[in-house]
Amino acid sequence: MDDKTLALMKQAFKQYYFKAGDKIIPPTRMSEREFGYIPFGGSMIRHLSFKTFGDLYALLVREAPHSVYYSAAYYHEPTLPMHDKGWKGGDLIFDIDADNLKLPCKKDHDLWECKNCGLKRIGLRPEKCPNCGEVSISELNWACEKCLEAAKNEALKLIEILMKDFGINKSEIKTYFSGNMGYHITIESAEFEDLDQTARSEIADYVSGRGLIPESIGVFKRATYEDLLKNLPRVGEPGWRGRLAISFKNWKVKGFDNDNDVIKKIATLYGKIRYSKFKKRLEVEALNMGAVIDTMVTTDVHRIFRMPDTLHGETGLLKKMCDNLLDFDPLNEAVVLSDELVEVFIDYSPKFRLKDQIYRTFKKEKVKLPLMAAVYLAGKGLARVI
Amino acid sequence: MFYKNIVLALLIELGLEDLAKYPFIKEAGEYIKKLNIQIEDLNHPDYINIIQRAKERIKDAINKRMVSKEIQKAEVDILSFPIALLIVRMCNNDYLASIYSLAEAIRIEEFLKYERKSIISHIFKTVLNIDVIEVLEDNLMHQFDYKIKIKEYLKRSTQFHELEWKLINRVVNQGYVYLKTHELIRLIREEIRKIIYNRIKNMATPKLPKVIEDAVSEISGMVQKLIINKERISSTLTPKNYPPCVNYALNTLQKGQNLPHFGRFLLSTYLLNIGKTVDEIIQLYPKLPDFNERITKYQVEHIAGLRGGRIKYKCPSCKTLQTHGLCFKDETCDEIKNPLQYGRVKSKNKR
Repeated sequence: MDDKTLALMKQAFKQYYFKAGDKIIPPTRMSEREFGYIPFGGSMIRHLSFKTFGDLYALLVREAPHSVYYSAAYYHEPTLPMHDKGWKGGDLIFDIDADNLKLPCKKDHDLWECKNCGLKRIGLRPEKCPNCGEVSISELNWACEKCLEAAKNEALKLIEILMKDFGINKSEIKTYFSGNMGYHITIESAEFEDLDQTARSEIADYVSGRGLIPESIGVFKRATYEDLLKNLPRVGEPGWRGRLAISFKNWKVKGFDNDNDVIKKIATLYGKIRYSKFKKRLEVEALNMGAVIDTMVTTDVHRIFRMPDTLHGETGLLKKMCDNLLDFDPLNEAVVLSDELVEVFIDYSPKFRLKDQIYRTFKKEKVKLPLMAAVYLAGKGLARVI
Repeated sequence: MFYKNIVLALLIELGLEDLAKYPFIKEAGEYIKKLNIQIEDLNHPDYINIIQRAKERIKDAINKRMVSKEIQKAEVDILSFPIALLIVRMCNNDYLASIYSLAEAIRIEEFLKYERKSIISHIFKTVLNIDVIEVLEDNLMHQFDYKIKIKEYLKRSTQFHELEWKLINRVVNQGYVYLKTHELIRLIREEIRKIIYNRIKNMATPKLPKVIEDAVSEISGMVQKLIINKERISSTLTPKNYPPCVNYALNTLQKGQNLPHFGRFLLSTYLLNIGKTVDEIIQLYPKLPDFNERITKYQVEHIAGLRGGRIKYKCPSCKTLQTHGLCFKDETCDEIKNPLQYGRVKSKNKR
């Protein structure tokens, strides 16, 4: 990014932080967490600690960083190197990113650029550049409204599992729009804070439907038709058994058209396709019903995570708490920068909406845009200040 | 919660038989304390049965990997436990402490499987601080006996590598994992083993009466023989070109530490595939705390395709090993997809 564009972005962020002091909710257990930030045009600075919110806020206004992070973990000494910090526990966190959903619209709005010859195209990143054969290709993921809606659905699925299966109160589940491509969910609860990496990876697998075996729903290799009638899950059962029982209604099996004989239908299907094929089908079904999360984020107990109420350097949007996720409109409610007009040159941008304004596709043109939209494009490297 | 515990304690009456079954619980310690026996008293002929039983406990551990469940006289059984711990402590051998504590833990597990629910809850609460809740009649949950908090489950279940222990393969509801009695009990074997092991390790080393000194030298002799035997066997394999995952499994075995089922499967399939015989492989296992020659032989023969479905099993792929957390890759591993390719690639790279 060129200096002028960097300066504009930093100025925009500074202006926001300067005014937003009372809107930023300080993280809980602040002095026990590690903080880090990426300055505009710089690289990550980690292992920081703040005793008071005043100190942290002073950094936000002074540095107006591209991104601000805090650890999900609580440490005895947050500023020491990782091995010496003294891990005390950590929030249980989940990251839902539209890019991991591999939606069909990706090919309509994602961009790639060959690092060798500079060829730029819209669409999915190829394995090698069709022009020069180079394999080093950068990718720009864009989140359209469909992507954000799909990410929201994953978040809703996740919240339901957390509430029903894990018994977590709605008030303990903090849901945020991430400021870019999806949602972050944070649970601060004594019940889960001291779980280690392996236990967290079990939770990640559970909510995403990974690792389910047929035996857990009563399907064994040598199971007879009668065994299956007795053991297959019924609607209303808790956990994954109940979840799969619901999905069985939609399984198509020849000769079974109505919903009345779901158990018989599945038992018959098993008789036809037997264990290995049934197992594969079940695995696919469980993955569909689970929430698509980035399991690394949940599992990594030292992860630093974007701090709520801070701006995302690639969009200028806020990581914002969603009080009512169902009705949350990220491209409206997370937009906080001003509408003061700035002139930018846009290389290319897909059609997008911010607040209530729809912006058309731009191609190699000079335009005057409200600051919020200029930053939205500049953050992704699609526009530059002239 | 405090009040509830008092009520629970009042409701439970632990008889001598119970203390004999579970001699590691606080109540058994209190019972022994009340008897006010001094260590030098043990030379007295009255205690001969107790010392005999203590030695039996240890010999059972060495020979059968599980301390016998037979209780002839509860008082003798209760008192023999701390004496057995003392003898093991004085033998000063890690391997013995390890197999003995596991053998006692397996004995306790066997008793717990058929125990009254109130005693199970009491032991879980007082020894491990786990609240175990009985599942009362409920149409959908009738096949389960207990439920425990998810975090208590996860803290213990992740030591197992079998997929059935994965949280997703359990019935989970409203923050609890539902379990059958034998599953609940299996979950804590390792913890009970550790409690007993730590008690041995942390014991003071008093001046011993003659009768205990004799027992210590008798048991030490047995252990020495066992160890010499193992070392002779393990020296037959000195694997330089084995992949790191297989070496990890071998080292774990040689240290006498527990190797997960899948690790044993890896080792057996790998060694069979490079031409080792079933007998050579079985000889690697005796150091394991839960070794049973008959079962191990059956399992290795099964893998070799000599029994059961007559399928000769292939060595698991690197990808599968990664899923099971048994991959410890080095740079040679970047070029292979299966551990069997390691030796060839490594010697090629050397050239």
